Amino acid sequence: MTRSRVSRFLAVAVGAICLVTACGPSNGGGGSELAADQTLRFNMQDDVTSLDPADVDAAVDITFLSEVFSGLYKFDNELKIVPDAADGMPQVSSDGKTWTFKLNKNVKFSNGDKVTAADWIWSWTRTLRRNHAYASNLYIITGAQDVANGAATTVSGLSAPDDYTLVAKLDAPAGYWLSQLAMPTAAEVLDRKVIEAAGEDKWTEQAATYIGTGPFKMTARTPKQSMDFEPVKDWWGGSTGALTKVHVDIGVDPAAAVQKFESGGYEIVGMANQAPGPDDVLRYKNDPTKSKLLNVYPGARTTAVGFNFVSGPFASKPGAKPGDPTNGASNTNDPGLAGRRAFSLAIDRKQLADIACAHAITCQPATGGPITIGFKGYLGENGDPWAKFDVAQAKQLLEQWDPSGTKRKGLEYRYNTSPGNDKRAQNLQAQWKQNLGVDVKLVPSDFPTLQADRKKKIVIIGRQSWGIDYDHPQDWFDNLFSCDQAKVGRGNDEAYCNPDMDKITADANTKPIDQALPEYVQAMKLLVNDVVWMTIDYGTQPYLTQSYVKGAGYNGLYDFSWLGIKILKH
Amino acid sequence: MTRGTLIYAAQRLVLITVTAVVVSSIVFVGVHQLPGTALIHERDTNPATTAALMHYYHLDLPWPQQYWLWLTGVVLHGDLGESLVNRGLQITPLLIRETQVSATLGIAAVLITVIVGMSLGTLAAIRQNTWVDYTASTAAVVGYSVPSFVWAFLLILLTVGGFYRWTGGLIYEDIGWGKLEQIPVPALALGLPYAAIVARLTRASMLEVIRQDYVRTAWAKGLRSRVVILRHALRNALIPVISILGPLVTGIITGSVVIEFLFGIPGLGKEFVTSILSRDYNVVIGVFTFYAALVGFANLVVDLLYPVLDPRIRY
Repeated sequence: MTRSRVSRFLAVAVGAICLVTACGPSNGGGGSELAADQTLRFNMQDDVTSLDPADVDAAVDITFLSEVFSGLYKFDNELKIVPDAADGMPQVSSDGKTWTFKLNKNVKFSNGDKVTAADWIWSWTRTLRRNHAYASNLYIITGAQDVANGAATTVSGLSAPDDYTLVAKLDAPAGYWLSQLAMPTAAEVLDRKVIEAAGEDKWTEQAATYIGTGPFKMTARTPKQSMDFEPVKDWWGGSTGALTKVHVDIGVDPAAAVQKFESGGYEIVGMANQAPGPDDVLRYKNDPTKSKLLNVYPGARTTAVGFNFVSGPFASKPGAKPGDPTNGASNTNDPGLAGRRAFSLAIDRKQLADIACAHAITCQPATGGPITIGFKGYLGENGDPWAKFDVAQAKQLLEQWDPSGTKRKGLEYRYNTSPGNDKRAQNLQAQWKQNLGVDVKLVPSDFPTLQADRKKKIVIIGRQSWGIDYDHPQDWFDNLFSCDQAKVGRGNDEAYCNPDMDKITADANTKPIDQALPEYVQAMKLLVNDVVWMTIDYGTQPYLTQSYVKGAGYNGLYDFSWLGIKILKH
Repeated sequence: MTRGTLIYAAQRLVLITVTAVVVSSIVFVGVHQLPGTALIHERDTNPATTAALMHYYHLDLPWPQQYWLWLTGVVLHGDLGESLVNRGLQITPLLIRETQVSATLGIAAVLITVIVGMSLGTLAAIRQNTWVDYTASTAAVVGYSVPSFVWAFLLILLTVGGFYRWTGGLIYEDIGWGKLEQIPVPALALGLPYAAIVARLTRASMLEVIRQDYVRTAWAKGLRSRVVILRHALRNALIPVISILGPLVTGIITGSVVIEFLFGIPGLGKEFVTSILSRDYNVVIGVFTFYAALVGFANLVVDLLYPVLDPRIRY
């Protein structure tokens, strides 16, 4: 085990112990005899945005994709990448640019259709042709972006020497690609015959045509009302576990879901990222009996305050065009740096988590950089020197940044409103006032409003948050902090652009994670030093699970597979 | 139905159509003023894909052209378009299904309103200044003062968790939708404040009617109390009650927005809120227009009931 693995393991273990000890995994429920009714029922507040693996862009949707479809690889319950529909790990050429995948010959769709390499090529080409959010997971394949841009209809880098071998030639070595392939979205295999017969945009609407290779299949769907799933008979992967039915109520908000859970109407609340609200979590935590039903797992979300790097008093290069370099060797004069650091040092994150996150249950104080605790690239506790709470230094930096007192006037904190975000914002405002004497006006809005302004790069101080897609630092740097993403309309909302950091991460991206991790950590240190994000908390994923339900849980990214869930006699 | 009534109904139908069109155009302009679109997500989407989606949904066209396409789709094909958020989802069948859900809840709420309200009001009137009157009047004041969402919270606490605990899981309210037994509790939450209004009105109206000469004559003829109260007094006392049924039905329709949310009912009210928050333009416009038409129809039905109850009223 390398040092990084050890630290990651320890981080996960510490996080899990801190969070789970008091709440413990569910127990009770008598013996181990199975209940006659093996129906798992849970809720969702909003319907899925899409059930097409090529189109999804929400964590909620992924829950169902991972049960109905297969990729070549998947993350197991310990976030380890293991073969799914592939037969073993890929063979990678010495230059890292040719990946050969041996396919499991047993894999077939739930309608009995066999899966061959041609199906994989068709499915990936289709994903690229549709070119939604996660199509970028396949961009590294030679010719992929030509298909995405509509300049080609076939991906030149994909070939099938035989029915059960898939070869992908890449534009450059990519140490992160295996993680992208393990994400249950864009790289799943689909049944061409069914999709072409049902219609490219219609096949997900009917249970009969929603065909995949996963252990479960959809049996009914009423949009915005409910979904039902059942195990696939004679599934190619073997046993489909104990569950005989999964019923999902759509449109039930967390508070109503907890009520229904308490009257036995749901086996679990928390599946598909539908966590119970902080008040209910706290109620369960504080009740000796109920606390046994509460499980809190470290989650894959970081919440932060982002500072604008091209306009406003915190900018490192005021007036620069979004996408132009703002930091690094090309600009050593950063007039906003002391201000960003002062604002970060002035926040007691423990207090914030205590107040905003049900006594630090639904989130934890963030002191190890943007990457969430337990994931590759996390800097460790107190790894971010500007995340410590130091009022004296904060005041000193504030005066250094704004000796005349003009920059600190009229500041606004923009955020999308929700019970948790409101509490965070109010606490930030109070601490900035108390510790720095600065008045910051709170400007709440709904998510589309905030997001639209973020993309225009006009938010000066605003709430930031990122849910991890897959466990690899590349997911953070390439999507959130690169110069390419700093342009108007792209994902780097702060317009931070550090070509030196981009160079480091570009190099790291070509290497296997063990070799790349020190470089990612180096890049992350540049990032925290520049205080692009003032990280404030790491999310957790609380679940309420009936005592008679076993095998449910969360691996930091996704729910545990339904395959392992069983309902005991109760 | 008289010719006059038919003409009146036809005029009102035209007015409802015009109202729906005006509402849809106002909402169309309003919703496009909101910042952000349904196509903006946390994760970056390729600009070309976003542009293609904008084109697919006609969002790249000038507003008047977009609205014209929407309007002709509705008028010529009854097609409200496709959801921007839940891709592939057709809005017309969705709203029809959700309207059925909301209508079921609404009808149950109106029934509760009328039955509970009129019973309480009648009882209070015929037992004026007794403990029955005081109890009914107090209940009406309480019912009127407490908004439906508070009733909803109280009823959830009582019937979901409370009943479950007290009966060991034998009896409880199963939050959600799809079973007959899931209707009464949310309908009660929705209807109780209005039942209180009906109770107060019925009481006042009954007190006036039971002092009328023809009621006194009915008593003098030796008719049974039930006949006097139900046939002679209550029927005439209903006129003012019916007159508030229009706004009451409107209140119940709009009140369902909160109740559906709290009880996890997949109805039109819930759609009303979620579609705005997610900038699902087509659904927002569709829901608002549906609501406008629904309120118009509800008022029309109430107006058509007047001549049935009081032959002196003619159109």
